[in-house]
Amino acid sequence: MFSVCYGELVSGSFQMESAELTVEDTEPLVGHSGQESLTGAGACDGFLYGGCPEWDPRACARGGRPRQLAEALLNPLQFITGAHDAWSGWVCVLLVGVCTGVVAGVIDIGASWMTDLKFGICPQAFWFNREQCCWSDNETTFDHGNCSQALGGSRDGPGAYIISYLFYILWALLFAALSASLVRMFAPYACGSGIPEIKTILSGFIIRGYLGKWTLIIKVVGLILSVSSGLSLGKEGPMVHIASCLGNILSYLFPKYGRNEAKKREILSAAAAAGVSVAFGAPIGGVLFSLEEVSYYFPLKTLWRSFFCALIAAFILRSINPFGNEHSVLFFVEYNKPWIFFELIPFVGLGIIGGCIATIFIKANIYWCRYRKYSKLGQYPVTEVLVVTLVTAVVAYPNPYTRMNTSQLIYLLFNQCGISNSDPLCSDYNRNFTDVNSAIEKAAAGPGVYRAVWLLFLALLLKLVMTVFTFGIKVPCGLFIPSLALGAIAGRIVGIGVEQLAYHYPKIWLFSGECSTGDDCITPGLYAMVGAAAVLGGVTRMTVSLVVIMFELTGGVRYIVPLMAAAMASKWVGDALGKQGIYDAHIALNGYPFLDSKDEFQHTSLAADVMQPKRNETLSVITQDSMTVEDVEALLKETEHNGYPVVVSKESQYLVGFVLRRDLNLAMANARRLVEGITGQSLVLFAGGPPAGAGGAGAGALPPLKLHRILDMAPITVTDQTPMETVVDMFRKLGLRQTLVTHNGRLLGVITKKDVLRHVKQMDNEDPNSVLFN
Amino acid sequence: MRWEYFIVAFAAMYFVCVSGDQSYEDKRCKCVCPSPAAVLNNTTGSDRKLYIANVQPNKCDCDGVILPQVGADVKVRALEFCPRCECKYENRNTTIIKVVVIIVIWVIMLLVVYMGFLICLDPLINKRAKASYQEHTNEEDEVGGGPSQQMGARGNVLNRVTHQQDKWKRQVREQRRNIYDRHTMLN
Repeated sequence: MFSVCYGELVSGSFQMESAELTVEDTEPLVGHSGQESLTGAGACDGFLYGGCPEWDPRACARGGRPRQLAEALLNPLQFITGAHDAWSGWVCVLLVGVCTGVVAGVIDIGASWMTDLKFGICPQAFWFNREQCCWSDNETTFDHGNCSQALGGSRDGPGAYIISYLFYILWALLFAALSASLVRMFAPYACGSGIPEIKTILSGFIIRGYLGKWTLIIKVVGLILSVSSGLSLGKEGPMVHIASCLGNILSYLFPKYGRNEAKKREILSAAAAAGVSVAFGAPIGGVLFSLEEVSYYFPLKTLWRSFFCALIAAFILRSINPFGNEHSVLFFVEYNKPWIFFELIPFVGLGIIGGCIATIFIKANIYWCRYRKYSKLGQYPVTEVLVVTLVTAVVAYPNPYTRMNTSQLIYLLFNQCGISNSDPLCSDYNRNFTDVNSAIEKAAAGPGVYRAVWLLFLALLLKLVMTVFTFGIKVPCGLFIPSLALGAIAGRIVGIGVEQLAYHYPKIWLFSGECSTGDDCITPGLYAMVGAAAVLGGVTRMTVSLVVIMFELTGGVRYIVPLMAAAMASKWVGDALGKQGIYDAHIALNGYPFLDSKDEFQHTSLAADVMQPKRNETLSVITQDSMTVEDVEALLKETEHNGYPVVVSKESQYLVGFVLRRDLNLAMANARRLVEGITGQSLVLFAGGPPAGAGGAGAGALPPLKLHRILDMAPITVTDQTPMETVVDMFRKLGLRQTLVTHNGRLLGVITKKDVLRHVKQMDNEDPNSVLFN
Repeated sequence: MRWEYFIVAFAAMYFVCVSGDQSYEDKRCKCVCPSPAAVLNNTTGSDRKLYIANVQPNKCDCDGVILPQVGADVKVRALEFCPRCECKYENRNTTIIKVVVIIVIWVIMLLVVYMGFLICLDPLINKRAKASYQEHTNEEDEVGGGPSQQMGARGNVLNRVTHQQDKWKRQVREQRRNIYDRHTMLN
């Protein structure tokens, strides 16, 4: 019970500090989350503002809430307070869901409008994108949906082409420059995808200001701008960061969550689910994404809240209807065609291709990011953005598949060839449309299709190269859409190949007679979808959540097996070729203190080998009743540890508890200011009873400073012979920050998370100094 | 500063109200057909024709949308022509689109203006305050936290705003140092 209050003190005091420290670990996850009914409501935060005014300090310290709640049943007002306390978690995730949905709608509408700005403006109503502008215009020609109402692009001739080329480049440069400079000026933390950092935060570290208001605003605006600039990036990953910012900001409305970092992480998990939910219109996929990829500690309670949050967010976005297609994503497609058993072979093949593409991408991107980190290139962030944008725009415009918005490209590739699809990829088949309701007949591909395939192949190479250079530049940029596009292109090409195989040799045993009737038995769009899942799975190493996201995108349960086969194959290939997914690789590159729960620790070292202090060093401890205020202050000045063990006496070293540096600092400062008669000679007492030490007689005239309230009397301890495997497991599962090492009940040393991470790195033959601390 | 906001809000309202002539409907039924020549001359071509009309969702089919718009020669062969067409009912909300786009434009403009202000004018204004300010940043954060907060509470609103702004600037500077100079994060 004590640790509850102590946790609150910690999180409360975070707010008092200014922005100097950036990254640091926090209190244990478990011990707070496990005792929901005891935590929160600021029962103990009164201490920060000069003692617990209303309540008995001891009750406060021992977790006054249960008693309060028990009394609440008698008093109606307190009953309401209690009810508010109970449902505040749900209200909080409700608000997060609503806000996430609204923000996602704003981003979708804004980005689609601004993307089309590169091609022209709607003269009557500038706020429409191209499709909206031509909403009720019968004259829409089919090449890229231009209509006479939209300016630009519809004229022919080399002059017009050059002019629109130029305007395309200029708009792209303008958007990218704005995005990069806004990020640089107002909120540098808004750059990148944010998922590695969210993972790190959810694993128990705090990156100050990473989930703040300015980060939110700049991330939203910068995301709209950078997506519109035509760079090879997506808005789906940053959506997770945006949702987490909203979760963080809104949790301050509920003291139970705002004041407790451990509980706030539950809200952040739910927010991450909502982010994916709005990004793909896939609520269940979002929950699973949060569980599989982002969250570190995911109890059932969080699962339900995430489910609710994702549901609300998807509902809100769906009712905003940003794309006018009754769905929350642009590339929603609906399939209802069966697949034949033989097709599993090309699907697994696509999985292997996807794994290879993903590995190439991860290796190249990490190499480039490392180069950027350690070379002069890193000193020119805005210039780099501009150069990348310029190159992307110049290279992308001539190829219609790279010129168009990446989401539209994915939609085009996922789609079946029907009457309404007029791209050369579909329209140059030698087929007659006699009835849209009957099955599409098989047809030989015309030269236009082969040309389109070549263009797609070029687009694949181009997108791969550009995404390697784009992911990591200093604008908000996500990875989902480019990797989906890469996979969709590869899949579509394979799909067209298989389709033509089925057309030319319908009778071979492979197709088991299903292709001989004249119907089109192969759907290239399905291959595009499987390929997309494969590459995304290879890049992020997701499996379950990815399959669920993809089948929620298509609304077809029928394709779960192909998607599963491809995702699994791609994960295996990816794991064989390169160890980590892109997010873990970026965590390692940045050296975030993240203890991966997926790895196994296989070495035989003992706790005694890892603990601090090493031989010949002394452990700085505080005795429970024989140190004066001056002694403690001197200790705080001399050492920089985050916390100190409290022992009975220096000779015996029997462990009493653990006290955090921050609490100690605050308590001393408060006591000096507020409590009468505290001088440098006063004794500091951590024990409950009267002072019994030798110094007690000399300083008996002075009132002692009682600090037993900030003492954690139940620190996690291990013995010195505990294998490190167990210790690492404890750190992971309990989210510990430090553990004390004892021998025969006497304190020997401390193992902090830093020591564990260093030890793990050392054992893996990596540089232990690359871990980022403070 | 205060009345600039009023102008901005007023202008935004003005924009939303005045430019609201409804020449764009919120609903449509969109049908895609091959060009009628495919039926009349039995040729195959890849050109398509669009038929768009604003009808009830249940009328969104060949009879409701396409036939009123085609010539008599196609109407006769409706049984042949209609199955080749694909109709889709779509709706949108123009008001939301308009409001969102205008808000986005305003936010971007405000941010750009504020950025310009911070780059160009702020250094000139704060030139004198800079010396003491730099000293402040070098202080230990834990020591600096308490007293400055008290000062803010004692001062008037303007002081508090300035204090908040300073705090924010310090944060941003720290973030910039982490990302752009030391490259310890978000590489």
